[in-house]
Parts: sequence; C-alpha cells; structure tokens
Amino acid sequence: MNHYALTIIGRDHPGIVSRVTEILYRRGCNIADSSCSILGGQFAMLLIISQPEEESGEDLLHYFAPLEEENLSVFLRTLRPGGEIRPHLQGELCMVSVYGSDKPGIVYRVARELGEREINITDLNTKLIGSVQRPVYVMMLEATLPAGMSVEDLEQAMAAVAGELQVDISVRAINPVEL
Amino acid sequence: MAVRDILLYPDPRLKMVCDPVPECQELEPLIQDLLDTMYEAGHSVGVAAPQIGVPLRVVVVDVSASKLGRKNNHGCLVMVNPEILEREGSMTMREGCMSVPDYTGNVARAEEVLVQFNDRDGTGKVIRAVGFEAVAIQHEIDHLDGYLFLDRVSSLKTDLFRRKQR
Repeated sequence: MNHYALTIIGRDHPGIVSRVTEILYRRGCNIADSSCSILGGQFAMLLIISQPEEESGEDLLHYFAPLEEENLSVFLRTLRPGGEIRPHLQGELCMVSVYGSDKPGIVYRVARELGEREINITDLNTKLIGSVQRPVYVMMLEATLPAGMSVEDLEQAMAAVAGELQVDISVRAINPVEL
Repeated sequence: MAVRDILLYPDPRLKMVCDPVPECQELEPLIQDLLDTMYEAGHSVGVAAPQIGVPLRVVVVDVSASKLGRKNNHGCLVMVNPEILEREGSMTMREGCMSVPDYTGNVARAEEVLVQFNDRDGTGKVIRAVGFEAVAIQHEIDHLDGYLFLDRVSSLKTDLFRRKQR
C-alpha cells in the first residue's frame, strides 16, 4: 500500500475539508493521521494518507487539480515504506510554554536549545496576541526528552534562555495515565 | 481468582449503562477478578466491571502505587453502586484507557469528589477523594454509564503505553 503526505493550504472558507475528503474517498484513499487548523486567514491541512490501489503520486495529484483552481495549494509526497509509522519515543514527555514581548528569534532560540540537547519536539503552536502597540508572542510545545534527561534539566536550560530573551518560559512534565 | 481480558472498543458492552447491583448479590468472584486484572496490568490504577464484560455497577481503584497518587489516596478501593455526590474544582490530565489502546487525550475533571458507595463487605461508605485518585474514580464511574474518556477529551494525542509482557 502506498502512503503519501498530503498538504493543502488556502484562504479559509466553509467546505474545504468536504472537497478534499470527497476526492480522497473517491480515489479509495484512507486518512491515517491528520491535523488541520486555521492559521491566520488560511486553512491548513496536513494528512498522511494511504491508497491500496498503488496509483503513482503524480496520477493521484492529478485528481486534486480542481482544488488548485479554487486557490488551494496542494502538495503530495510519496512516503518511503515505513514512513507512515510513528516512532516509539521513550523519554519523558513535557510541555514548554514560552511567552513575552514579541521579538525576532524566539522560536529559533528555544528550538536550537532543544535540538542541541536531542530533545524531540512533537507538537508546536505559536500565536501572536496582545495589541498592535504591545504584541505578545506565545509558543506552546510538547517535546520528548532523550533517555536520562529530566524535566528539571530542561527547566534549567530554559531558565537561561528566558533570561537572555527576556521572555517567560515554564516547563512542566506531562504524565499520561492509563486508567 | 483470575485475570480477565479487557474488552476493547468497539465492543458494544463498553457503551452500555450498567445495572445497579441488587442487595445480597454475591460479588466476591467479580471483585477478585477486577482486582487481579488491575494489578496484573501493572500500570493500571482502576478497572470497571463492564471492561471485563460484566454490566454491573462495580469498580476498583488503587492509585497508591503510582507516582501521582502516592501522597493522597485511600489505598485499594472496591466501589459497589458508586455515586458522586459532590464535585469541586477542576484539573486536566492526559488520560488513556486500557479499552482504547494507544490513544491519550487531555481530559478536564473535578479535582475533588465526594463519593458514596458500598465497599467489599457491603458496608455503606462516603469518602472525599482528591487529585489523581479523584480523576481515576471519575474515569471508572464513567465506564458504568457507557462513557469513555473519548467522550470527555478536549484534544487527542497518540501515545503508546508500555505494556507488561505476558
């Protein structure tokens, strides 16, 4: 079975999901994993899809052409075998909240710190809030720590970044519980 | 007695409203099975009777061995015909469920609950549970009404629990 990564983005309006999923349904595609959201005025769809019929990516993309005419941008990438399988992340899970006066480099500076420590970001959202005069930047991310690293270790590293960027950063452990 | 298999959604028995236990009904084998099943799972802190296919209002909860519940708990709780009398406060936890494997989601529940139930010996009790124990009790009692955490979730996250090898 072929797996593809499908990305669709365009000015938000009612009916985008319906149009996209109708095409997928008619082509016999399954939506395995997906996340869709409104970002600014744009609606963005990220999907991992599979197709039992083994159509080539190019052939499949052809069926999305009508969407391009509606000003939606469509990207399709054929995944290598196994590319659809989620890795088993073992380390501690934590949530990092970063917020403060908007300035260039907040995301990069925090992400660099995480990347250098082999911390895996699994979810990331940012928003610009506040007023035009006093914009506030908010970033929320979830990350898996490498084996042996504790939430306290990350807290310490983030405290240094918070001081340097003059923003507030809090780190807290997420403990998923199976009941 | 016996470790029983946990029913997995979409088993329709997980979506049924369970019957109250009539007075004088022999429950000892069921209670022991629930406890055995909970402790055998290793990481589990609660099991409800419908999860092993018995449509009766019985749950067991024990958070005393878990990191989150160690400080505040009532030990091993056997609850027959439990009823939440009062709810207070709110807390959100990333919940998962043995009947819905490999999914977790953020669920907001009361931080504190006052629960009335009959214990293993049939004695009427009222306890005030807080924190993780309160969350576990609410999760298990939801099973008795056919609710899964998926009915309460505000956002879904995939998460694989490490399971005890059999």
